[in-house]
Amino acid sequence: MFVKRSIALLLAGVAAAALGGGAAQAQTPAAQLTTAGTRIDNTASVTYSVNGTSQSIQSTTASFVVDKKVNFTVVTAQTGPTVVNLGDQNVVTTFQVTNLTNDVQDFLLDPDQQNISLGLFPGSDNFDVTSLRAYVDSNGNGRYDAGVDTQTYIDELAPDASATVFIVGNVPNQAGARYAYNSLHVIAAAGGQANAQGAVLIGTDLNLAGADNIVDIVFADDDSDGALLGDIARNGQGRAYSGWHVAVNNVALSVTKSARVLADGLGSANPKAIPGATVEYCLLVRNATLTTGATGVTLADVIPGHTTYVPGSISIGTPGALGVCNINGSVEDDDDNDSAETDGYTAAFDGIAKKVTVNLASVSGGGSVAASFKVTID
Amino acid sequence: MLIRSLFLLGVVLATSPAMAAGPLQVTSQVMVEAKQRAADGTTKIALVPAHRVVPGDRVVFTLAYRNTGAQPLADLVFDNPVPKGVAYRAPVPNSPAPELSVDGHRYGTLAQLGAVEPDAVTHVRWRLARPLAPGASGTFAFQAVLK
Repeated sequence: MFVKRSIALLLAGVAAAALGGGAAQAQTPAAQLTTAGTRIDNTASVTYSVNGTSQSIQSTTASFVVDKKVNFTVVTAQTGPTVVNLGDQNVVTTFQVTNLTNDVQDFLLDPDQQNISLGLFPGSDNFDVTSLRAYVDSNGNGRYDAGVDTQTYIDELAPDASATVFIVGNVPNQAGARYAYNSLHVIAAAGGQANAQGAVLIGTDLNLAGADNIVDIVFADDDSDGALLGDIARNGQGRAYSGWHVAVNNVALSVTKSARVLADGLGSANPKAIPGATVEYCLLVRNATLTTGATGVTLADVIPGHTTYVPGSISIGTPGALGVCNINGSVEDDDDNDSAETDGYTAAFDGIAKKVTVNLASVSGGGSVAASFKVTID
Repeated sequence: MLIRSLFLLGVVLATSPAMAAGPLQVTSQVMVEAKQRAADGTTKIALVPAHRVVPGDRVVFTLAYRNTGAQPLADLVFDNPVPKGVAYRAPVPNSPAPELSVDGHRYGTLAQLGAVEPDAVTHVRWRLARPLAPGASGTFAFQAVLK
């Protein structure tokens, strides 16, 4: 038993040593490649002697012009889809474009919705974001800044330099939306003029003799997205994929209503619900989904018959304890005209429909809000 | 006879207009290796004029020399600085191996120069051991890679 074990260990050691051998051949950085348009000249100097007299001459000069070897990569610069909520504006997926050409290049950006599910994510594509745009990260902070990152093409990208590109869109308020796949299609264009979008590069026909003293364009870009469709090697175009995921389609919102008699007009320590008594109703809103806030929550409550609403009695705030509806509640007025309101809560009482309406701008994930109002028993 | 020699002179001028009219003519040429697909589907490497060259391509520089004079030329030394942007690789098959230098002063084999990479070579040099007879000619060539 012991012998066998030592043999196994020995074999394992050999295998590990064999695996550690081959070092990959690194690619030459693009910045070290000879720049397109460079003229390479070759001349030899020759010395000889005739009858003991030294002479020297120069050979003729052989020259050629270095042509453009267009190569670049487009990769998805994020792991998995971007998690979004329904109705989110300016949601982003992030890509990176790296220029590996022996020259400065512009790159045109073409954002695409994908309607086929590529199997990148666990679910299939079932919605599209609206107003899809692609922008370059102009200040290099890796974040999309609306109004700041407005450049729609990559301008003058030096050899070996990279640019971050965002695909930006808006999530529709579409029930059941789960995944939206997208892709960034990048096209190499002529560089050399700052703040101007270069023309799309057209590869020189490899079957024609390239002219001397003219920079031919030779596409050397790989298929950067591997197994996925849409990218062909050596065509001056690249593509990478990403997407958005609506992780939470609904939040677990609950409303609990309770009532307590505040006073019965007789000064009882334990007030009873008799005519003339004041009753406080409490609406406790709880969002049990921790990761997602609920927005635009509206509560409507018709007051019971044989009761009269106490004007100006609506109060909204943090839930209290021991039967107290809310603490630090802000008193709302009764007409929805809450121009002075800053807490995002408004309320109204409709005297004809006998209905209390409470509007909560948002209830944060895992949070709760309590609204109370008072009535008197007729 | 006179017409013929004029004709010859005309040919020389046409092929290399920049050439001095000395007895020794040296022409430099550059070709690039290109993969060519034959009709039977095989690919072979052919040398074609260097019209389309991109970084990573292998180029061949050739020096062709001829004694056009009436006297033998002795002590011939061909010194060819490796152009900037080009990395020396090897002499082409059938060409004599040049002496190499990494500084333009000391010449030798790579081993003699301290076993440096061929990338470090800055000059190649050929020397003819025997005088070049009138009318005699030859070529030297080396392979290089465009950086």
